[in-house]
Amino acid sequence: MKAIRNIQFVAMVSIGLLLGTSCSGLLDEPLENQQIAEGTDYTQTQNMVLMLYGAYNQLYDMGWEVYPTISVRGDDIDIGGRGDQPLFAEADSFRYDRNFWALNNAWTSLYSDLIYWQGAIEEIQKYQEAGANQGTAQQYIAEIKVMQGFEFLQLARMWGSILIPTTSQPSQLFNAELSSFEQVMQHVSALMDEAIPLLPTVRPNQRTDIPGGITRYTAYAVKALANLELKNYPAVAEATGQIISSGLFSLEPDFYHLFKLQGKLNNENLLELQYSDYGTPTGTSNKYLWDFFGPTSWTPARSGSSGGWGFWEPSMKYIQFMLDRGERERLEATVIFTPDGITELRNAYPGAPSWISNVTADGDQFNNSVRTKFYSGKHYWPSTMLTQGRTAYGENKNFTCIRYAEVLLIHAEALVNGATSSAMTADAAVNEVRGRVGLGPLSSVTLDQVLDEKLAEFAGEWGIRFYDLVRNGRTAELSYGGRTYDAATDRFYPYPLQQQDILPQLRDQNQ
Amino acid sequence: MRNLFTCFFLLCMLPAFAEAQHRVSGRVTDALTAGGIPGVTVMVKGAVTATQTNATGNYTIDANAADTLVFRSLGYAMQEVPIANQTSIDVVLEGEGTELEEVVVIGYGTQRQRDLTTAVATIRADDIAKTPNAQAMQSLQGRVAGVQIVSNGAPGASPTVRLRGIGSFEGNSAPLYVVDGMFFDNIDFLNPNDIATISVLKDASASAIYGVRAGNGVVLIETKSGAYNKPGEIVYDAYYGIQNPQNVLKMANTQQFVRYINATGSQADISLIANAMQRYGRSRLDPNLPNVNTDWYNEIMTPAPIQNHNLSFSGGGESTRYSIGASYFNQEGLLDLQRNDYRRLNFRVKVDSKVKDWLNVGGNFNVSTARQYNGENTAWFRAYFSVPILPVYDEDNTDASPVKYANAQKLGYRGVQNPFFPLEYIDNRNHVAKLAGNFHAEVALWEQKLKFRTQYNYGLSFVNTRRVDFEYHDGVTQHQSAIRRQNTSDYDQVWDNFVTYDDDFGKHNLNVVLGQSYRSEYSELLFARGTAISPAPSRAAEQYWYLTNATDFDLNNIGDADGGTLNANLQFLSFFGRAAYNYDDRYLLYTTFRRDGNNKFQKTWGNFATVGAGWVLSQEEFFDVPGIDFLKFRASWGQLGNDAISPSVGLPTLQENNGAIDGTRVIGRRLNPTFDLITQWETTVEKNFGVDAQFLNSRLSLEADYFIRDTRNLAVTIVPPVFASAERRSVGEIRNQGLELNLNWRDHLSEDFSYNIGGNIATLKNKVLGLGGADGLNAGSAEFRQRSIIGQPYQAFYGYEVTGVFDTDQQIQSTYNADFAAEKSLVPGDLIFKDQNGDGLIDDQDRVILGSYLPDFTWGANLGFRYKKLEFAALLQGQTGYHILNRKRGEMIFTNDTNIDADLATNFWTEEGGSPKNYPSASGLRRSWNQVMSSYFVEPGSYFRLQNVRLSYSFLGREINGVTWPETRVTLTADRPLTVFKYNGFNPEVASGVDREVYPIPAIYTLGVTIKL
Repeated sequence: MKAIRNIQFVAMVSIGLLLGTSCSGLLDEPLENQQIAEGTDYTQTQNMVLMLYGAYNQLYDMGWEVYPTISVRGDDIDIGGRGDQPLFAEADSFRYDRNFWALNNAWTSLYSDLIYWQGAIEEIQKYQEAGANQGTAQQYIAEIKVMQGFEFLQLARMWGSILIPTTSQPSQLFNAELSSFEQVMQHVSALMDEAIPLLPTVRPNQRTDIPGGITRYTAYAVKALANLELKNYPAVAEATGQIISSGLFSLEPDFYHLFKLQGKLNNENLLELQYSDYGTPTGTSNKYLWDFFGPTSWTPARSGSSGGWGFWEPSMKYIQFMLDRGERERLEATVIFTPDGITELRNAYPGAPSWISNVTADGDQFNNSVRTKFYSGKHYWPSTMLTQGRTAYGENKNFTCIRYAEVLLIHAEALVNGATSSAMTADAAVNEVRGRVGLGPLSSVTLDQVLDEKLAEFAGEWGIRFYDLVRNGRTAELSYGGRTYDAATDRFYPYPLQQQDILPQLRDQNQ
Repeated sequence: MRNLFTCFFLLCMLPAFAEAQHRVSGRVTDALTAGGIPGVTVMVKGAVTATQTNATGNYTIDANAADTLVFRSLGYAMQEVPIANQTSIDVVLEGEGTELEEVVVIGYGTQRQRDLTTAVATIRADDIAKTPNAQAMQSLQGRVAGVQIVSNGAPGASPTVRLRGIGSFEGNSAPLYVVDGMFFDNIDFLNPNDIATISVLKDASASAIYGVRAGNGVVLIETKSGAYNKPGEIVYDAYYGIQNPQNVLKMANTQQFVRYINATGSQADISLIANAMQRYGRSRLDPNLPNVNTDWYNEIMTPAPIQNHNLSFSGGGESTRYSIGASYFNQEGLLDLQRNDYRRLNFRVKVDSKVKDWLNVGGNFNVSTARQYNGENTAWFRAYFSVPILPVYDEDNTDASPVKYANAQKLGYRGVQNPFFPLEYIDNRNHVAKLAGNFHAEVALWEQKLKFRTQYNYGLSFVNTRRVDFEYHDGVTQHQSAIRRQNTSDYDQVWDNFVTYDDDFGKHNLNVVLGQSYRSEYSELLFARGTAISPAPSRAAEQYWYLTNATDFDLNNIGDADGGTLNANLQFLSFFGRAAYNYDDRYLLYTTFRRDGNNKFQKTWGNFATVGAGWVLSQEEFFDVPGIDFLKFRASWGQLGNDAISPSVGLPTLQENNGAIDGTRVIGRRLNPTFDLITQWETTVEKNFGVDAQFLNSRLSLEADYFIRDTRNLAVTIVPPVFASAERRSVGEIRNQGLELNLNWRDHLSEDFSYNIGGNIATLKNKVLGLGGADGLNAGSAEFRQRSIIGQPYQAFYGYEVTGVFDTDQQIQSTYNADFAAEKSLVPGDLIFKDQNGDGLIDDQDRVILGSYLPDFTWGANLGFRYKKLEFAALLQGQTGYHILNRKRGEMIFTNDTNIDADLATNFWTEEGGSPKNYPSASGLRRSWNQVMSSYFVEPGSYFRLQNVRLSYSFLGREINGVTWPETRVTLTADRPLTVFKYNGFNPEVASGVDREVYPIPAIYTLGVTIKL
């Protein structure tokens, strides 16, 4: 019996050892479902376009806090949303808190895009080296550079001196030196010069591969904006002149509908963030978080449609400015009134016309809100335009970034500042914008008139007004409604505290 | 001893000779009470013959005149008495006071309590059964020093369990549960009544044998077994009880709310009250108030029943023992109206058989199926914020359908508020099925000295969740219906093979284990969300709640992968060994070693060792201190690993993203240049020093432990420059250290009356030691910052220190720089923040640590007595030295038109009265100055609780009308009937320390009965 047991023992131990040795191969099993970049087969050149799609998706995927951080500081718009996000209200009044989360988020969101795009460029280059069509690869890279240019522009406008990543490795920035505001704008301009010859000479909505994508004229527009910040007016006039003389772009005749369904992939758009509910009543949707702009209380024409958080309040100053000008079309398209807002306006501006109403052209009635007196019309989406079944505010709306009207008006701004152009005169450019909303032509336009036209046209959009005032040294306008703007300290945001903790060069610069 | 083994061996070999010839009878009594002990197993040593004492403690057994009888019973020290031709043997068993002889489960084997050099706490079935809860771990609260249990009041929910603090930045620091050899992350599927013992391996030396899985501590669970030669027993055990909401937070009523709103001076809000008066009429008592006064907690909560039924069969013959059981548990939730309950059905079989004298084979099967309806948790949040001037129903809210619930937006409020919307229109169901199976065989290779054991364990787990959103109209907004389903399946196996060698050489005792183990974990996940369900879901027609009835699918919410954590295919291979040596019960040495291999990390193999030593001073001849019966010093050092962290690929990856291009959804790729590099598991080294002592004839027992537990290679987040997604690296370091003390006294005054009293305390100091170069690491939200700072506790609350409330303008001027005070427009009624750096202004430099959510002191105390057949037991416990972030009050920063708690509503600062509690003024509550993270929101969480009170009476062997009544015990239990605390919430137990919507902990009163046949 003992022998039997010994045999048993030997057998058991053998099984144990066998298991031990045979299993060790199991430890080489890879982790599941991880696409390691190194493992990419670049000869599969049909996959190259995925990097470009990824770049567009990245551009379109914008957190709600990024836009107000870029855009809140002008005298055209106030933050609204009283009782929520008090630090945005502080920023609106030029009292910056470097520990404000939205500053850090805006910084990292924009920079992350830049880093991802750098990665996309590097990947596309690898496809090109592996045999992908050179022209296609180069065009893709050029498109991505335009995206980078647009966001560099935003970063430098907010923080002045910033870091310019040159590789897809964030760690490279530990030792990077800060580039001044001017250097960043020069970098953007140079980046656009690299991109321009490689891009298609069509309107974005004429592209068939990526409708609404980036074209040569988007690159010209970004170049113009960067040179405008540099006050390099001839370069602005040259770039805008290229867009104008292409003859491809035109203003959407209906200003109100430019920001509605009709504005999607409109002939006026040079750059827009695209979203869609794919035409289905429920289910998949890619959207910007329009709730930020939505009303806290409304009676929508289509009952049951959702409101929002009650932010983005056009300023009383802007409304009065528009009434002084006798404008109605752009005012009504830009500002949505609440009953309290109308009362307040009539108290402050006894001559306010009777057509002011809290019901929009599409029949949505906006009610009183403790958070805001006025809502942003440009970010409003009529409930009747929602796809049947959808209820989320603004669902299916695109977000326009650069319009032809801006190209025309910065063309004019460059010319009145001394540049010359054969494409169009300053008067013609301004009058084209005025003509769309039925305003009479001006002659011998001045810088004041151009800036006023820009305020009337772009209120609430991308901080255009704030950066106009700062660039042209007219910051007295910013001290309104209890605010005090100090040109020495308030032009740029402080670097976010979390970034200062990581990057000593930011800390040093801030002191 | 050697002879005994030989004898045993011979008996095994020659069963034919082992026939009974000699009849012995006698009585077994308790040393303390002198009363008879029923149910003591009396067996012939080395043979299979055994019996049990009856209700009065008497027994009769047949044996050889030269045999030795072994007397053992749970809670008593085993005794051996040679028969030596006697026919009557009375035995006195030492009560639980001498736990020293008890056998403790230690992983791949057992050890006598007195031989331990490590810190192991064991909880037995009796104590587990005292707590009426679905989760066995809840019964440890207050009973085991060094184990922090944070209760969860939701039906069927598991408590949070922390062994000796927090030693990982990831996961929930949950310990490893080893159930009859199988590894589990939690034991929510086990019926507490099926558990024989829970052994908590507290120090690294005890748990080192589990190597890379043991970093957060190990809890060993043994389920109940039958016993050889024990007559079959049927036990029915049940309780039924009521859960009663406790310490319900008082919210401002209409009168207090209106006073508060008036004090804010906000015309907009005052007009909303006017709207309420217009819509719902004026109160007849006070015409300045609306005729509505809703107590929302009262509306959504109701006492709820809880019940449990167990039926078990156990026993054994000469060669086979078995334990078979079934149980049903049902707990209703406190949320009223809609489905909020948990029910679980368990079946189990455990069989062992001596197939041959050298082979013991067994199997174990535990099936657990549960269904859980989670009432929508948002309801708790909404109940806090809903204004009291809103009724539940509003017949004038005509657009609302199908039910006309009141909508605060109709009064002008920003939100819908009313908690009945989520309660009515969301249905959450979880189906959980878990199965633990085990097969084992043990071969006696050389007498009983050398044994080989192989055990194969399989654990299956299926969690299927379904969330149904109903289509409804709240009077303002239309809501679409949707169904989201998620199925996860886990397939885990463990196969252990090990040999055990047990021998004595004179005074030398040696136990050696050598083994090998293979483990794998595989999991799958699938989730999908469909919208516009047709027919629209209704509670009356649940049979149509299927994704196939969805009109559209949400492509962004369909998938089968969740980062790198699921869809895992993990493989582990291990070799382990243990040696325990004891010389003359005086000198103890203990060592284990485990080598673990894995495919989860870049580093494949890791070694984990421990050494421990003990000195039983009281066994020394020179030791002669009256009153001290036993005194042992022990010290140990051990290494552990924690692999319960997300793995990493360690290289840049391509990630998919999606977006719309001209109304077409496109999938794209992006290169993520950053990556996690988790090269290895987290490593812990722990030193433990302990004393065990018994005094005054074992009436008084003491256990004390001091430990320092250092964890390195912690996976922590490194924030890269400018980039939004952070990278994880194995560079963190954290320390937990503390003292644990356990003191118990038990005695009897007469045969009829015995009593016990005891207590335990534990201290814990948690300190972050390293973050890979950074000074601190942010956690929590931006508005309510928590931060792990070097030298400070993990994720401590971080903000401004409130020193008071400004009463006058002069005070403001003298406290801060005048420009600063003017810029901030400070007014009386605003909080005074301490200017820590004295620069005259308050900015991010003035933030300090405001407290940690980890208690630095936990304690428990127990008291019990028995008088004849009446037994009483009480347990008290408490936790102190920790803080809770009152995030509900903090919500004011996002939405300020909601209700506030009554304490705040009656104590906010006013010009006349100031604020004794340092609360801001009513209008100040709405100013951003007072909304920043400060000690105003961070409150002490300390509490004291009457944890469990239990009274039971046994009817033992009583004859009624000539029929012997089965052994019956009736029990009354009050679980957590009283909790005392200052925190302004209704539950001081908040696992994460952030109280936003925590399920209340109810008091439970039950009536239980146990019948043994």
